[in-house]
Amino acid sequence: MTQTGDRHLDPAVDYPLSSRRPDLLHTPTGKHIEDLTLDAVVAGDLSPLDLRIAPDTLLMQAEIADGAGRWQLAENFRRAAEMTEIPDERVLAMYNALRPNASTGQELADLADELEREYSAERTAALVREAADVYERRDLLAAADD
Amino acid sequence: MTSTDRPAQNRHSRRTEILEARPVQLDGFVEEWPEVGMIAMESPYDPEPSIRVEDGVIVEMDGRERSDFDFLDQFIADHAIDVSAAEEAMALDAQEIAARVVDPRVPRQDILHLTRGLTPAKLLDVVESMNVVEIMMAMQKMRARRTPANQAHSTSARDNPVQVAADAAEAALRGFAELETTLGIVRYAPLVAIALQVGGQTGRGGVITQCALEEATELELGMRGITAYAETISVYGTESVFVDGDDTPWSKAFLASAYASRGIKMRFTSGTGSEVQMGNAEGRSMLYLEIRCIQVAKGAGVQGLQNGSISCIGVPGAVPSGIRAVAAENLVASMLDLECASGNDQSFSHSPMRRTARTMPQLLPGTDFVVSGFSGVPNADNMFAGSNWDPEDYDDWNTIQRDLKVDGGLRHVAEKEVLAVRGKAIRALQAVFAGLDLPPITDEEVDAGIYAHGSEELPERDVLEDLKAAKGVMDRGITGLDLVAALEKGGFRDVAENLLGVLRQRVSGDLLQTSAILDGDFSVRSAINDANDYAGPGTGYRPSGERWEEMKRLRHVLSASNPEQEVE
Repeated sequence: MTQTGDRHLDPAVDYPLSSRRPDLLHTPTGKHIEDLTLDAVVAGDLSPLDLRIAPDTLLMQAEIADGAGRWQLAENFRRAAEMTEIPDERVLAMYNALRPNASTGQELADLADELEREYSAERTAALVREAADVYERRDLLAAADD
Repeated sequence: MTSTDRPAQNRHSRRTEILEARPVQLDGFVEEWPEVGMIAMESPYDPEPSIRVEDGVIVEMDGRERSDFDFLDQFIADHAIDVSAAEEAMALDAQEIAARVVDPRVPRQDILHLTRGLTPAKLLDVVESMNVVEIMMAMQKMRARRTPANQAHSTSARDNPVQVAADAAEAALRGFAELETTLGIVRYAPLVAIALQVGGQTGRGGVITQCALEEATELELGMRGITAYAETISVYGTESVFVDGDDTPWSKAFLASAYASRGIKMRFTSGTGSEVQMGNAEGRSMLYLEIRCIQVAKGAGVQGLQNGSISCIGVPGAVPSGIRAVAAENLVASMLDLECASGNDQSFSHSPMRRTARTMPQLLPGTDFVVSGFSGVPNADNMFAGSNWDPEDYDDWNTIQRDLKVDGGLRHVAEKEVLAVRGKAIRALQAVFAGLDLPPITDEEVDAGIYAHGSEELPERDVLEDLKAAKGVMDRGITGLDLVAALEKGGFRDVAENLLGVLRQRVSGDLLQTSAILDGDFSVRSAINDANDYAGPGTGYRPSGERWEEMKRLRHVLSASNPEQEVE
């Protein structure tokens, strides 16, 4: 995943990025935000992937949220940055696996490993491991023979 | 027998008969029963606030040891509460904190430094020391976004996309910043969500739309760009009810990040009364449990919350001080720096006076979304089981705004403009349906839809064909981009530009920040660039300039220069 250094974004100066810092905004497919025009849609030059947020942009929004004193929101955006790479169906399946009594401890451990291995999603993996730990203590894991 | 001998059981005064016939008698009221949680607030069974921190970890909270924490306690202790602020904030007297929250001269930021360190029981003590006027004073300062806004429901008893498009367009034109729909038949969702989006962007470019569905389906529509945000991500205040809802704080936190990873705005939903209604309040008050929900939302890192009892409003509405508790739960969301979409969205009383009074604690101080949502369709068509506000109330709402000079987000619009936008919305949808090979919308439907109040005035659609087509929308992988292309091809270039403008926002992520909405010119307005700066008389948001002139207009206002004439 793309990691950027601190850009020293100032919420009071740089937000909204779409009007104040469009120079920083690219899609994961490498298009500039200003290339996302109606003419490009009509010409068939845009795919749904061109309307996705880039991990880098989420990290910038995290920096802005931090700057506004919202550390939990920033942390959410950092997990989101990790999750941009995960296909839609896999995201939905992972969410379903985190529901109560849906997964064994081993399945959640495997999910956390997959997040780290396939997507370098350390923060999200940590969330899953924490869930596994709480689910075990609160008896919310699926039985191993299910 | 004489009349004095006979007990007068069967005889009532004329006044009693008149009072018995009043609509308020149809409402349900019950005594408090704190043992089962049938109490709004001030329960003798809520815990006393406490906190103990060891090595940066909360090891005791509100009288419970860490080893006994249920999953909400643990999530709140580890994710919601700022441990570095906790001990100092918890040492302050609750009444002193409340006084600072109410005092306009204590800046909002200073309050946030305190509230981030408070436990659920302490937050409860703080708001319990306030009366309803103090709660409103506090809300005026603590609301995250400076400018209040409003949200509408656009649904149809027949899930008729034609009706949804027309009513969404009208609602957007009238000023709502967000539009929400849901379904009678869930399989209709793709077509109705498309209709909401097309109608909304016809009424006013930049309005954002959502379709309330089961969590996973709602996310899928969002991922495809058919909807622009999500709201019905429910959280509950006891572990057993949370599990009954088939979620945990961790699954919801994951879901919050999943939405953000697609650039989609979202908020959680919770509300007083849900736990006792679902049969397991663990003997706690409704407000205490709701504060736990609010802190779960905070800890998950979601930007906002829809609360204010929501679909359970009949429960706090039935007990003493219940509507005060509902105002308090909105305030706690704002005190924790979350966007608050403040309810008023479910019918709870037959009394027009109670319905109005119930909304004053949100309308007068202003909230991020005063009503969430205001029904843009008649009660019979409202698939959220009816709102506290209906389209029949549009002019009353506009008049109340004008009387009190408070901004509830709406405006009066002349009928010719309403009809024009309804017609354009249906024709735009007609073009999209034609472009995507969906069952046609006839010219008869266009004409009926323009002038209709409810679904019964529209020609019935072929439901089986529509459902087949709705499935096709999902199977064929139709996305928001296909809608843009179909609108352009159908000659609705301006609507296509508007929808693309909304989709483009997800690339910037600006709408992900707290309390974000889009203006008519697609500029983002959130708690960052439109932060609430209320600091007492003469400060903060006050209707002025063009907005105030707009608020002065009503359906019938006499001209000052010619009292024989009404102003346009």
